[in-house]
Amino acid sequence: MGKLTIGCFSSLVGSLSLDFGVKLAEAAVKKGHEVDFWVSSNATMLSKKGQKAFKDYSHLAKTLTELFATGKFKAVACEACAEARGYHKDDTMEGWGRRSMDWYLASAFSADRVLLIGGD
Amino acid sequence: MKLGVFMSDFRGGSDVLDRLSAEKLGIILVGNGIYHATTKENGKSSPLLNKSANFYVLSEDLESRGFSPADVDSRVKPVTYSDVVDLIFNDYEKIIWI
Amino acid sequence: MAITKLAFIVRSLPYKTEASRLALTHAIASQTVEIYLEDGDNVEPVLCFIGDGVLNCLKSQQAGKYYGITSLEQHVKNSLLLDLKVMICKEDVDRFGIKEDHLVMDAEDIGGDTKAQLVPYSEIQKVMEEVNHLQFF
Repeated sequence: MGKLTIGCFSSLVGSLSLDFGVKLAEAAVKKGHEVDFWVSSNATMLSKKGQKAFKDYSHLAKTLTELFATGKFKAVACEACAEARGYHKDDTMEGWGRRSMDWYLASAFSADRVLLIGGD
Repeated sequence: MKLGVFMSDFRGGSDVLDRLSAEKLGIILVGNGIYHATTKENGKSSPLLNKSANFYVLSEDLESRGFSPADVDSRVKPVTYSDVVDLIFNDYEKIIWI
Repeated sequence: MAITKLAFIVRSLPYKTEASRLALTHAIASQTVEIYLEDGDNVEPVLCFIGDGVLNCLKSQQAGKYYGITSLEQHVKNSLLLDLKVMICKEDVDRFGIKEDHLVMDAEDIGGDTKAQLVPYSEIQKVMEEVNHLQFF
């Protein structure tokens, strides 16, 4: 089994690239791989708690909760990116970490594969 | 290098692909990239499919956009997320998203 | 003791999206990555500008004056100050008719010694083959 590091910058709402990243993480974890998931830029909103499900928008919170429960999935948001968007530590969904960008690079150091999904 | 490319766009990114070379190249069409597999303009398939590569298309993104595997160019193989994970770990050493 | 080489390939234009800025800030973050790693382990970033991405390297950007944010020019300089390897695709620079003296090729004014390299695309292709992981921005 391997380790996949996914970095994503795309918006939670308005782009489906972030959905792709989460679904890919889910499929990898189901196959027994470990996944590190890094979000920066607009993708940091994925780590905000209190997301409500609406039919017009992606809702990934439930999948994330299930992924955290597997113990094979780590997710970390860029702290500066979140703070710049007015979203603070106490708004963070359970399971998520907040770090600076070096965390992503450290994750890439030991990853078998790295997929960086750029912003839209 | 064995390179897997996630092509997520229909109009952009071909400039990057045109120059990339790899001893083994896989192009996985995802998001709006799936239109390369399904859509002809003026009766012609996407020029992307003329590249020397193995082509895949994510079934979920295909069906989300109103297509079925029957609509896919014969050079492109429909795959699931689970298949994509296997491609990433077993077939390609490096993977990029464009 | 191991080094993981990471390529940051910038192909996006500056400012409309955050992509090129994120390439630079993530690459620069390599300076502090050791806190997470074992002694002797490290990551080695390489920044390559290709296609429209070469326009991030133009001199005289006044993003600070008009947008109130750090310019991409400054981030390229910061990368050089920190001795990151910076490569700019010559064919693309030529295609835009840009002269070398209009590009950020050094960070001498802020005390840096490392220079950016204007190289044929084939050199960037070599980098892509040598690194452990590739990332396109």
